[in-house]
This record gives sequence, C-alpha cells and structure tokens, in this order.
Amino acid sequence: MKRTDIAIIGGGPAGLCASIAAAKMGAKVTLIERNSTLGGQLVKQTHMFFGSQKQYASTRGIDICKILDNEVNKYDNIEVLTNTTVLGMYEDGVITLDCNGSYKKMLPSRIIVATGASEKYLPFANNDLPGIYGAGAVQTLMNVYGVKPADSVVMVGAGNIGLIVSYQLMQAGVSVNAIIDAAPSIGGYLVHASKVARLGVPILTSTTVKSAHGKEYITGITTVKLDDKWQEIEGSESYLPCDNLCISVGLSPLAELLWQIGCEMKYVPTLGGFVPTRDNHLKTSIDSVYVAGDVAGIEEASSAMVEGSIAGLCASRSIGLTMTDYDKVLADYIEQSNSLRRGPVGDKIRQGLAQVEIGGQTK
Amino acid sequence: MNKSASVVIIGGGISGNAIAYELAKRGQKDIVLLEKKFLTAGSTGRCGAGIRMQWGTKLNCIMSKYSVERYEHLNEELDYEHDIEFKQGGYLMCAATSKEMEQFALNVKLQNSLGIPSRMITPQEALEIIPYINTDYMIGGAFCQKDGHLNPFHTTQAFANAAQRLGVCIEKFTTVTGIDVDNGKVIGVQTDKGYIATNVVVDCAGGYSQYIAKMAGIDLPLYSQRHQILVTEPVEPLQGPMFMGFAHNIYCQQSPHGSFIMGRGDDEEPKDGRITSGWTFLEEMAKNCVKLLPLLKDLTVVRQWSGLYNMSPDKQPIYGHAPNVEGFYMASGFSGHGFMFGPVTGVVMAEMILGLSPTVDASQLCFDRFEKGQLFIEPSVV
Amino acid sequence: MIQKDGIATQEMIDSITPSAERRSKGPVAVVECFQSIPCNPCYTSCPRKAMKELIDINDMPQVNTDICNGCGVCISHCPGLAIFVIDETYGDNQCLIKMPYEFTPLPSEGDYVTATDRGGKPVCRGKVVKVVNTPMQDRTPIIHLVVPKEFSMIVRSLNINDIYDDNTYICRCEELTLGELREYIRKGYTTLDEIKRITRAGMGPCQGRTCRQLIMNEIAKLTGVKPQDQLMSTFRPPVKPVKLGFYAQEDTDNE
Repeated sequence: MKRTDIAIIGGGPAGLCASIAAAKMGAKVTLIERNSTLGGQLVKQTHMFFGSQKQYASTRGIDICKILDNEVNKYDNIEVLTNTTVLGMYEDGVITLDCNGSYKKMLPSRIIVATGASEKYLPFANNDLPGIYGAGAVQTLMNVYGVKPADSVVMVGAGNIGLIVSYQLMQAGVSVNAIIDAAPSIGGYLVHASKVARLGVPILTSTTVKSAHGKEYITGITTVKLDDKWQEIEGSESYLPCDNLCISVGLSPLAELLWQIGCEMKYVPTLGGFVPTRDNHLKTSIDSVYVAGDVAGIEEASSAMVEGSIAGLCASRSIGLTMTDYDKVLADYIEQSNSLRRGPVGDKIRQGLAQVEIGGQTK
Repeated sequence: MNKSASVVIIGGGISGNAIAYELAKRGQKDIVLLEKKFLTAGSTGRCGAGIRMQWGTKLNCIMSKYSVERYEHLNEELDYEHDIEFKQGGYLMCAATSKEMEQFALNVKLQNSLGIPSRMITPQEALEIIPYINTDYMIGGAFCQKDGHLNPFHTTQAFANAAQRLGVCIEKFTTVTGIDVDNGKVIGVQTDKGYIATNVVVDCAGGYSQYIAKMAGIDLPLYSQRHQILVTEPVEPLQGPMFMGFAHNIYCQQSPHGSFIMGRGDDEEPKDGRITSGWTFLEEMAKNCVKLLPLLKDLTVVRQWSGLYNMSPDKQPIYGHAPNVEGFYMASGFSGHGFMFGPVTGVVMAEMILGLSPTVDASQLCFDRFEKGQLFIEPSVV
Repeated sequence: MIQKDGIATQEMIDSITPSAERRSKGPVAVVECFQSIPCNPCYTSCPRKAMKELIDINDMPQVNTDICNGCGVCISHCPGLAIFVIDETYGDNQCLIKMPYEFTPLPSEGDYVTATDRGGKPVCRGKVVKVVNTPMQDRTPIIHLVVPKEFSMIVRSLNINDIYDDNTYICRCEELTLGELREYIRKGYTTLDEIKRITRAGMGPCQGRTCRQLIMNEIAKLTGVKPQDQLMSTFRPPVKPVKLGFYAQEDTDNE
C-alpha cells in the first residue's frame, strides 16, 4: 500500500492550488486526476477570469491551467497520477484507485477532496433526442477537441456557464438562436450577458423549454413563458429552431466520496445541493478530510483556487509541517476568499456558507 | 444661422468658395457664405471645366498663370480628401483663318514673354497631338501643354472644406431676399432663413449677380445667357488636350474620367435666365464635332445640359466694389471663364476687401471701367 | 432591462457617459460594468491609475476621466469585455471606438463592417482603422472602429459581414457603392444633385435610371427627408445614349 502525506483528489483549479500549497509546506503530495491531463474545467475555459491578480484575473482559464501545471511540475514532492480514479474512501483512511487499469490502494495522512461538480439536467419531453447536450460537453467538444458541435444552438440557462458557452459557440461560428432561463432575471454576471447581447443573441428570461422536437435528432424546441410563480403561462408557447440544445441549468457538487467516508453533509440550494460542513480551514467533520472547490459549494474558479490553497496549507499544518510566514500567507488567502464573496453576487454564497461553516478555528 | 458676420459672400460656386478660403486664410473671422441651392449648383457645376493660359491680354495671361500654378498644388494646399482631378493635357487652339493665325502668333509671343510655355503648331504637329483632327479645316494653331481640365465639383468642394476648417460658415439652401443699405453703406443681408447684420457683402452669384446687386440698388451692366454643353459615355483615354476653335465655335475635351465634354457658343441663345436644353445645339454640336474630329462620331451622348454665362460688356469679369454703396463687392460677369480663374478671383477679392497690397494687380477690371469707357478687350474668347 | 436581457438601459448608459466637455477633449474609457462583482483588473491594469481604487474587490469601477487618456490598456484586461474607449475628436463628424473583439476572422484595417449596438442590432456602417493584436492583448484583440460621432455611445460591437454591403453597387455606371454613398450623405451631401456632382452617380450612360431612386431612399433613411420631399435632379435629353454621329445626320424629311 502506497503512503503519502496528502492525497488530493481532483486535478482542477482547487486540486492544483492545494497541491502547490501543500508542496510548499514540504508535504509529500499525491495528486490524483481522473483524466489524462491536469486542469479540470480549466482546459476548456478560453475566457478570462474575474477576481484579482492573485487569482490570475484577466488570464484565460487555459493559461491558468498551464501556469498551475508548470508550478506543480516544479515540485519533486508532488506525484501526479493521471488516468486515475478514486473508487472508494474508507473509514480506516484507505482510498482505492483505478490507476490506468491497475488496482491500487493508498493510505494518506490527509485527503483533500477537490472533485468539482457535475452538470444538472432538466426534465422535458423528448429530452433524450440526440443533439441535447450539457454545456460542459459542448465546451469540451469545441475548446478541447476543436469540434464544431452544431450549426445553431439554443442555450438553456443564463448563468455564467450558459452565457460563456454561448459566447464561445459564437466564437466557434455557431449561431446561438436564444438563451432562455426560467428565472426572472439573468443569473450570470451582467458583463457576460452584455457580451452576448451585443452579438445579437436574445436572452429570454422567465422562459423554459417545454419539449424538444425532431425524429433522428433535435430540430427545434417549444419554449413556454413562466409567470412570477414559475408557472407556465398558457398560450405562451413558441417554437425555436436549433440542431443543438445546450443545457446549462447549474452544477451539483460531486460529493459521493464525502458521503462514503461519512462527512456531515447539509443541503444548501445556493451552494448547489448537498455540501459538507467544514471549518474555515476547509476541514470537514472528519479530521483527516479537507475539501476545496465546487465540491464544497458551487462558486467561481477564483474561489476554488483560493480554497485549494487554504486546504493545502491547513492540511499540511495539521500534520506538523509549516513554512515561513505561514500565518500571514494563510490570513491572506482567507481574506482573498472573503473578499471574493463580499459583494452582492456573493450574498447567496455567504448565506449558504453560514449554514455549513463550523466555527471555532477562525483566526 | 449667424445673426451677424464680418463678411457675407453670396454664391456657392468656385468664386465664392475661393474668396471665402482666401479671406479666412488671411485671418478674417466670421465669414458666412450663402448659397441658394447646393455648392456648384450654378455656373460652376455646369461649366466645361477647361483651364487655359492661352490668352491675348497680359492681365488674363498673368491671372490664368497664377491660377494654374495654384491648381497644380491645390490638393496638397487644401488638404483635400479626394482629388480635384487636374489633368494638364494641354489646349490645342485650332486656327481656321489667317486672321486667327496672326492673333495666335501675337498671343504666343505675349504668353511666352510671361513664362507661359505655349507654341505655334502646324496642322501636321496638331495631328501628332490629336491624331484624328480633320486638318482640312485647320491652317495651324497654338498649343500649351500646361493647360487642361479640372473637376469643378471637387475643386469647389476642396475650397469649401478648407474654408470651413478655417471657420467659414457655409449656409446651403439659403436664399438672399434683400440687402439692406443705410446711408450708402451695406448694413445687412435678408435671407429666407433669417437676417445677417454685416457691413461687407461679396456678390459672386454667377448668373444671378445682377439681381443680387439690384437688391443693394446697384445696376450692373450684366446679362446672363444660356450656354449648352454635352457629355458622352466614358471611353478609354483617346484625346490628351482640349481641342478649341474660336472660328469653328467648338471646344471638346476628354475628361480624366473618360467622358468627352463639348460645347459651343451661340449668339442666338436666350438671355432670359433659362437653363433648358435645345435640340439645335445637339445638331450643330454633333455636325461640327464630327466634321472636325471625325473619329468621335461613334461616341454616345448621354446628356446635354446648360448653364449661364454671366456676360459683361467686354466679356471680362468685374473685380471691384460699388462706387455708391460702401461694403458691396463683386466678382461677377465672368462671361464663361469664372471657373478657371477661381484661385486668382479668391486672392484678388480677399486682398481688396482686407485692404492688402495685391498679389495680382487686376485694377483694370474695376467696376467703373464701363462708365469711363475703358473696356478691357480680350481677343481670345469663345 | 439588463437583468433580463443583458442590455444596459439608457439611464445606466447616461450614468457612465463622460461629460460632453471631456468627450470633446479626446479619447476616454467607458466602463460598462453595472454590477458589483469580485473583479479588479480594470484598476490594476491602468498605467495611469485613472480607475478609482477598488478598495473592496467588489467595488464598481469608476473612471477618473481627468486622468484617463483613453490608452485602452484596460480593454483587453477586462474579463467581462466591458470596457470601450471612445474618441469623439477623431474627425469632424466621426468618432473612434476601441472595442474588444474575440472572433475570427478578425476584420482587417480598412474593412467596412456593420457596427452594432448593445443588443447586436445594426446601427451603421463602421470602418476598421486599426486592429491591435499583440501579445499585450493576449488574444483579446482591440478593434478601432470609426463610426459617425452620434453613435459613440451606441455602437458597442461589430458584425464583420457588412450588411450595408460594401459590394452593393448603387450606381453601376460609375461604381458608387452603398457604403460610399452613406459616407457622402453623412458628410453632408444630402441631395441627389450633390451626390451626383461629387461622386458622378447618375452621370453615366443610364443617367440615374438605376440609382436615382436608390440614392433618394438612402438619403431618406439617413436624413429623414422623404423621397417625395427631396430635391429632384434635372432630367435632360437624350433619354438613351445616342451616337454623336446620329445627331450629325441631316434631317431629310423637310416639309
């Protein structure tokens, strides 16, 4: 059985930052990534990030990915396992792995779960027709594999992902016929909304998809308007042609491993569903298990990176490691994390976190 | 619209715009130019667009030479965004009679003495310049390569744009309805858009100059006569110079654009201000042209039009001020060659109005020459 | 409403529009960020510190237009692509808008494009005078688009397909295109005759039979003067092109 100081599950922005922070503290780190390359969602994020310079604001996700990847490679004390899936997490602290087809077991002193999130789906008539995709899949096809996924798309969901993927579809030469959202107002950043609006894409709020049409593949959808109680308004149906319906109605934390190991979980809709309780060092109800990123609550990647750093530092500290200015560095990350959530768009996040944060260790 | 102005220029043709520019260039502020329709709507926009220095009087030679030299650099001087299309393809003056030959010889001598590079030519030499001249009707001629063609619309616009950049206010579609004179002094101009108080008015209204002067109580010895002209479809470059004959009563030139523009004078043309078209012109023009330049018979005519020659008793312009009305200036009576004299008109009038010493002494063309019987006789006009 | 359709309201635009006096002095940044979000590259990227310090990263950006010189460095740094530079001193009647544009193909300098508004609707024809695409812009190229001055706060995007089609000939005889015609109309050549004199449209073999109505329609669109209220140009003989030699024939039918 393989031993390591800190096993980090998930090579996305949170896991990468956690690895780097833990490595800086001198921990022996094992970074476990399901895919063949590191970066998680960063590999397809061709847009510039928000936040401040510390979270690589103004830098594109794909470039942040390279920066973090290079940083990880600088540390001899980080071992990267790609094409490796964590199959189970056990109460004795053992995790089992499918490592490129081989069965492996590992006993880390600490585990940081940074598994991210999965896309939510939407029930409507004929939602099994070919041509109905999650926005993430479409983004992968376009930005990772260079495949134009469709000629004309209707995007369901005006959150940041829906808006960004719509913009990127336009960049790929796909026409976006409309972005619809059941909510009465746009959920994503208004600057993203303005970006697509000025390209002539109509954004239809209080509108949802009622059914998809087509035989072999999707050829269009029927939309319906919703009233202020989210009820369908009769007679408000209308037809939108498309050869691709892109679903972007939110993300759910990928928290199976946390359930398995018995972390205390709470249902917090504003954080995307069931999320673990944690202290402000991102330690869960189980002392050896830390969390970071979307699995701890759906937020922007900038927050995920800061959380990763905090978890990496704190998990290392908890096994007796340290570094110069540890307190100062940690305090700075915590302040970054707070400041990213301080504004009005952070309202819901703050409310959600208030429900899952365990006090006591706040510095 | 401005309620007052230091100078009100009436007429949006080449003269008015050149005067406006030259005044503004010399620092004059608050200049307003009034045009009844749009710029070049009158005689400027209807002219044959020829530019020549081959004249028979010293003053006309000097004035035209000054103008040509300015035109040569006008695109740059006025920083014009398009091209005034100055083509110095020359003027070939065709002599039909020995009397004309004698006159041309005198002219060329005078012109050469003033630095104008004209020369006498034989019919044979003429054929080298325009290979399709029917020399049966030509005993010789004169040629000056530096003469040519200029686009009236762009040239006027170039002056207008430059004048506007220097602060001149150009009011299009504004009709002058009256000129107020008090105690022998101009005090203002009435228009259909409002009143402009001013002490200086410049009348350069082309074919309507005499009517403008009348508003100030001044009788100008001018009349306006219709002149007709035609244009053909553009063809490949065929003819370098303007072909011109006084006795043959023709001018015919290919513009840089490719179209041929040709016209003729006719004493029988109406003098009532009409600018309609007549079929006799087409017939006479066609016959004359085909006779003298046979190759051109296959050119297709796309349009005939007409404009007004503002005729003075000696077929020369009046550059001056009215003796009885202080502040009333005129650049009128161009008798068919106002366009080519644009630059000199601008300079002479601007300097006169500002009381500056003249670059070109044109005092012979003053208003009272007619009263004094000192007509200025130019032997070489259509 | 921006919360519903992503398009800023006039009040919002008014609130961030630099003063007329400032606009008359030269290029200036316009930041169309109407939501408090955790983001600060506009502040940190400004070499002149013209952006009011974002003490809280969620503060909304505010341009000190006295300090801003419209250099445009912030444009490519804004992750929301919400920053534009407008320069109303670019020309007598034209303004320059510097905007981010992350699409291929990029327009080229000299291209005419369809300038669009915040809702993507065509506003006018724009001319691309510069495409800034160096490593500094990091794949967010900046397009310098010239449009009529009145659209400085209206045009915010472009469509590379010039729907005011460059290639549409209005006057086929003299090859005047729709785009050129519109430019002339905007420059103040607002009558058929003025257009004709400055462009030759209507002077060719067809004498305006094709272009006259088209030109008048365009004048109507851009000036609001209906064709029936416009000054008609003069009609002259001949009604079709006729050879000069034809007129030189003797009319033998003498009575």
